Amino acid sequence: MRPRLLSIVAPLLVSAPLAAQEPFPTSPPVAVRLRPVQFPPFREVALPNGMTLLLVENHEQPTLSLSLSFRAGTYYDPPGKEGLSAMVAELLTKGTPTRDAEQLAAEIEGVGGTISASSGDDFLTISTDGLSDHADLAFALLGDVARRATFPDPELELARTRFLSALAVELSQAENVATRAFQREVYGRNPYGRNTSAESFKAITRTDVVNFAGRRIRPGGALLVVAGEITLPKAQELANRAFGTWSGAAAATPAALAPPTKRSTDILLVNRPGSVQANIVIGNTTFLPTDTGYYPARIATHVLGGGSDSRLFTILREQKSWTYGSYAALRRYRGLGYWNATFEGRTEVADSALAELLHQIDRVRTELIPDSELTAAKGFLVGSFPLTIETPRQIAQVVTSARLLGLGSDYLQRYRDRLAAVSATRARAAAQRTYKRTALTIVVVGDAKVLYDKLKAIAPVRLVDIAGNALDPADLNPTAAAVVFDPTQVVAQRDSLQALVQGNVAGSQVYSIDVAGDSIVYSEVTTIAMAGLQQRSTVVLNPDLTMRRSDQTGTVQGQQTTTHLDYSGGRVKGSAMAPQPSGTPKSFTIDTALAAGTIDDNALQLALLALPLERGKMFNLNVFSSGEGTTKIVNVKVAGVEQVQVPAGTFPAFRLELSGMQLPVVMYVSQQGPRRLIRIAPTGAPVVFELVK
Amino acid sequence: MRRLLLWSVLIPASLSGQAGKITFEQFALPNGLHVMYSEDHSTPIVTVDVWYEVGSRNERAGRSGFAHLFEHMMFEGSAHVKKSEHGQLVERAGGTYNGGTAEDRTNYFETVPSNRLNLALWLEADRMRSLAITKDNFDNQRQAVKEERRLRVDNQPYAAAFSDGLTWPFDSSSCFPYAHTVIGSMADLDAAKVPDVQAFFDTYYAPNNATLVVVGDFNAAELRHLVNQDFAGVPSHAAPESPRCNASPTGKNPLRREVRDQKANLDLVMRLYRIPEHRSPDTPALEILNLIVGEGESSRLNVAVVRREKAAVATGGILNPYGSRNGPGVWAAYGIVNQGVSADRLDSLLAIQLDSIRENGITPAELEKAKNMLRAGFIANRETTFGKAEELHHYRTFHTSIDEINTDLDKLLAVTSDDVKRVASTYLAPGNLTLVIVRAGAGPSTGGRQ
Repeated sequence: MRPRLLSIVAPLLVSAPLAAQEPFPTSPPVAVRLRPVQFPPFREVALPNGMTLLLVENHEQPTLSLSLSFRAGTYYDPPGKEGLSAMVAELLTKGTPTRDAEQLAAEIEGVGGTISASSGDDFLTISTDGLSDHADLAFALLGDVARRATFPDPELELARTRFLSALAVELSQAENVATRAFQREVYGRNPYGRNTSAESFKAITRTDVVNFAGRRIRPGGALLVVAGEITLPKAQELANRAFGTWSGAAAATPAALAPPTKRSTDILLVNRPGSVQANIVIGNTTFLPTDTGYYPARIATHVLGGGSDSRLFTILREQKSWTYGSYAALRRYRGLGYWNATFEGRTEVADSALAELLHQIDRVRTELIPDSELTAAKGFLVGSFPLTIETPRQIAQVVTSARLLGLGSDYLQRYRDRLAAVSATRARAAAQRTYKRTALTIVVVGDAKVLYDKLKAIAPVRLVDIAGNALDPADLNPTAAAVVFDPTQVVAQRDSLQALVQGNVAGSQVYSIDVAGDSIVYSEVTTIAMAGLQQRSTVVLNPDLTMRRSDQTGTVQGQQTTTHLDYSGGRVKGSAMAPQPSGTPKSFTIDTALAAGTIDDNALQLALLALPLERGKMFNLNVFSSGEGTTKIVNVKVAGVEQVQVPAGTFPAFRLELSGMQLPVVMYVSQQGPRRLIRIAPTGAPVVFELVK
Repeated sequence: MRRLLLWSVLIPASLSGQAGKITFEQFALPNGLHVMYSEDHSTPIVTVDVWYEVGSRNERAGRSGFAHLFEHMMFEGSAHVKKSEHGQLVERAGGTYNGGTAEDRTNYFETVPSNRLNLALWLEADRMRSLAITKDNFDNQRQAVKEERRLRVDNQPYAAAFSDGLTWPFDSSSCFPYAHTVIGSMADLDAAKVPDVQAFFDTYYAPNNATLVVVGDFNAAELRHLVNQDFAGVPSHAAPESPRCNASPTGKNPLRREVRDQKANLDLVMRLYRIPEHRSPDTPALEILNLIVGEGESSRLNVAVVRREKAAVATGGILNPYGSRNGPGVWAAYGIVNQGVSADRLDSLLAIQLDSIRENGITPAELEKAKNMLRAGFIANRETTFGKAEELHHYRTFHTSIDEINTDLDKLLAVTSDDVKRVASTYLAPGNLTLVIVRAGAGPSTGGRQ
């Protein structure tokens, strides 16, 4: 659609030198010498009122950024008033005695600048950005809002509404749900673990806001960072004008509860019905920011999941195609930090991905990192440093975070050397110390109906909803009302059926019912040699046909299958091994709550005999499928009564149409008692069972 | 701080030293590769940025999402670079890299410490000449792209309505290039075949359809030497056909679509309008209109709709969010509906604000504010080596002359209140509206998501 420009501008082009063409190199070119990278100069000046002024002077562009940080982050939110620090930040720029919110915004935006405040975990920061010819205004507004914010009531109510709505949006995003749950899990009631909620936002009063600001937004200990086109004398003069007469220090940091001690690895599954992906976060708390273990842990974590050259990305995305990205990171706070590994990918592979994540964590803990990977990790972490200090604002950010975390004056100068000195042995030791393999927190956000039983095979699962309330796994599957059976139909008997595959006898099914005083025992033996199928099951039921126990053993196409389940107190517990399409049977433990009247799938045939059958009636049975570990609703429709001819004779029989299982099935049950199974015909499979005797 | 080198005397003196000005050189290789470069020695890093003039607008029906899927293939190896090695080599050198697909262009870039300029150029040259196209790589990246779609679109509130909504002002029959999304449909992604990849590479990934930009700490003579060595032997291909879009400049009949979004907790209203291509003389006034309506705390929508009427949680303006276009684009005003407010009420409040500009224009203070914002934004866009590289590409691709890179700000600063009122009347006309209402939560499905 656009005309090629070449013809128009060609005369202006400087043509390339016509040197003889050199051959294209067939291997990556080697690095040439890099001129030494010095950390750009910056100045630090203590102001008389207790503030520290940090200046990154740079005249490349006519811009100026100011930021003023106070120890007033979300860490300082009182319990039950989570969100208070964020509310204070929001309201700081919403009115002073001389400017209302709209005047403040119009004044700074009128000159192409911005002013805003935000609250992080440890710090609350007010910042301005703009052109350096408006430095006076930027300092004046910063001083005005920090010292004289009035927190008007109508602005508080407007902010509250916006926070509540923003919270609703946040809770609709799976990664935020995962992060919130992870923080809550690893930090517990420690301030780093507490989350905002609708209740906490609603509990915040104007008095809370005023008191918080009064106690914590103080010049003593605050850090004022100035970056861009300005000289030190000018910055000092403007800072003195804006903050000179302000005094006082922030209240002492209150003592906080220690994060909980975790004793074993388990999974918190947050149900997000219909989620097309599962978000996984794995990790634990680590150490204080000044801990020297940071450097080897940083290297180990980079090897694990620092970028697209790391193991998680290479394996989970490039090799397995399970995800768009999977990463690991080390986070530092002023207090105890944490590390985590994250994954998001389609629901069907979530359990495999989790197993792989754990395996890769184990590898970094137990194996020495090969030289090539160690060199690669250092190459990135050390080599990319200049990329992080390109603009004055970036330089200011790097210095600011070092100062705020209390990392010591030599931190920036020695950072690269300390990383470069890490050996494979130290990296492994750091991984062992940092990744608490036997006490990991694993959070999975996704469709629990699909995920619950798969994840149980990996670690114990606690199930909650998005708000964090405990959920009963049984509630994941809608259940049918309990069916009232007719136990008088169940009498001791033994029947044999033959299996016909495409009309030829290929196997058999023999079932027996034994009725003792307080129990019914139903046994079934099925053999179809050509399908490699041999299966024996025994189910014990109470006289009212409630379940007691189910056992099954056998082989299906060379894969072993076993089930041992106990039903009691509204739960089913036990273990199962089920054949898989992959060829390797999968073992898992089962411990699930059940709806009343749920029957084992091995007792289904018996249950059909005991239904109060009548032409046109419909029943919904809760059937626990041990092979899948879930309850299914099996719909039984009594479609009519037909004369059915089988080798054992001709019987008037109910035609039962069953759906809700892997395949729809048509079963015939004799109309006259004692009821017997006459014919079983799965739809779409080439096999039919017929009563022989 | 920047050291001006000898060659910069070629640039008129009045330009150097002015805020935000970019000094640059350019040349072309015989195979048609256009090269632009700009030295900046303030930090020892360099950005290599290649744009291919191909994007989702070049896709054919049934292959939506292909340009982006292809972009992924560009990281899967070439004659001398193994699968996944591109990222490894860049990261081990201390660099960062990525690629991105928009409607009109696809970009690939690396920022590396300046001693690894040779590596970044070599990597771009190797994949331009010899992309490795295998079924395994393709299937793998198809899965990665499908995960990306799930992550960014299907699993996010508003994302599907947003990306679909941007295409609704266009009609497939008259303008397929802009009537489908960049990310594409799952069905089309599944339908793509390996031979499609080869054909796409042969058609669009030739030096004569690409521009190479290098910005940062390097020596010009050394750069020219490396560019010649790495790129001169890449063969050129027949020039690709331009995509066709016959959409009229503005629509005649308003359109209203309601969609449901189970992932969202609050309703959303978007008023979308068709706007002309980037090089249209109306663009500067539209950019100013966009800032006045939706940018910042003092914007019309924030003051009137969020603060005074309390009808929205957030509002804003969007102008071609994925990048500028050489064909017709989209401008939108949107708002996320506040609790207890109806979407229709929010829509009427948005309409009142837009209509008031059509009828009464803007204030001198608003105009001055917008110009100051543009001036600051202009400088902010040019602070980093990557920012400058993208600016060079932008002006070459979307402006009549690359020289506008240093004069465009003057054009923006010359916009008058009457200009803004005029473009508002033209493009925010009722017939040009596509109204999208996103209903939050489950509930009865009407229309459904695409």
